Amino acid sequence: MTNASPEIAALISRTALRDRTAFRDLYGRTSAKLFGVVLRILKDRAEAEEALQEVYVKIWQRADRYVQGGYSPISWLVAVARNHALDVLRARKPVSDDIDLALDIADGGPDPEQATMDKGERGRIDACLDTLENDKADCVRGAYLDGFSYEELASRHSVPLNTMRTWLRRSLLRLRECLSA
Amino acid sequence: MSLGGEHDGRFEDDRVLIAEYALGLLEGGERAAVAHRVATEPVLAADLVLWRERLSTLDNEFVETPAPANAFSRIERRLFGEATTAGWWNSLAVWRGFAGAAAAVAVIAVGLNIATPRPDATALATQLVAALQANEGSGVEFVALYDQGSGEVRITSLSGQALADKDYELWYIKGDSPAVSMGVLPINEKREIPLDAAAKAGIAAGTTLAVTLEQKGGSPTGVAQGPIVAVGKVLPI
Repeated sequence: MTNASPEIAALISRTALRDRTAFRDLYGRTSAKLFGVVLRILKDRAEAEEALQEVYVKIWQRADRYVQGGYSPISWLVAVARNHALDVLRARKPVSDDIDLALDIADGGPDPEQATMDKGERGRIDACLDTLENDKADCVRGAYLDGFSYEELASRHSVPLNTMRTWLRRSLLRLRECLSA
Repeated sequence: MSLGGEHDGRFEDDRVLIAEYALGLLEGGERAAVAHRVATEPVLAADLVLWRERLSTLDNEFVETPAPANAFSRIERRLFGEATTAGWWNSLAVWRGFAGAAAAVAVIAVGLNIATPRPDATALATQLVAALQANEGSGVEFVALYDQGSGEVRITSLSGQALADKDYELWYIKGDSPAVSMGVLPINEKREIPLDAAAKAGIAAGTTLAVTLEQKGGSPTGVAQGPIVAVGKVLPI
């Protein structure tokens, strides 16, 4: 998928136009990545397989939202997969209409020009994570990559829940300052 | 929400709140409340995009893993109510299934044929008709009339829309043989297609006609690449 963004973007746009061939191509080119996402977060192959199907059903149904959303194509796809996996992980009970949570787009979001400009800064998150203490950076990575909740993070780091919340919120503010600098 | 006295005020709270939301750390009612605000406050929505784009640098750490072989056919079945396999084009079962459904529409097609200038009795005996019924909600339908005497197929679109940079392409399929192109079709007008000797020999009662959506100018390879949008079986009148 490396450097395939324009092609992936075109496939998503054609999927929004109900082009099933494009949808099949999109699946062929992105399913290994998205399966990796849901598998890492759910850590259960059967659940991950089910989740992958639901993720692509959502992609088919909501591809038009990508077109207006200002995301780069692959990060949008990963966000859909990641959010769905988080729903499964957190809930394991009937889910609210998390399609909207996963694909939340307000009117008047950032324009594509702004999104493009921001992409140049993306590489900086690694550098900014490095400015955090190791265990704080691990918490951010664990939340993002493994879908750990505050409770899980607190338990893993053997600190009270409120301490973990305070840690992470401070870390996120630091990250934001670093990323905006 | 307190930030330990370091950062007070709603503005700072919101900035952290969106980051927490982007990470998936919020749950239950808190999460739903932020989702609602994101949907109604463009500034928050923009902030969410920024966080997601920045965090997405970490996506490299999600290891690509081949999805199960049957996953895509299951997705298609969920979305479209059927499995479409890689070999669908030459699958006899698929075509036979379509042809049965098309027979009902053929009655209408014959009715339309009667509305055109009445052919004489001998010509009628050698005419074949195919109703190309919309496939999977495409909304594209054609009626084809084949006069073996003149060696021409007359085809008319009943419904469907022309699409920018796409063309509809007509094919015939006889028995187990691969589909053969009969050229691209206009929407909303009649077209008379003279057949070559091979097509004349190929089209008879029982032959299947199908229309696929292809790139402009039709499939460059001579093999259908796009989805079937209409299909029907050739029947004697």
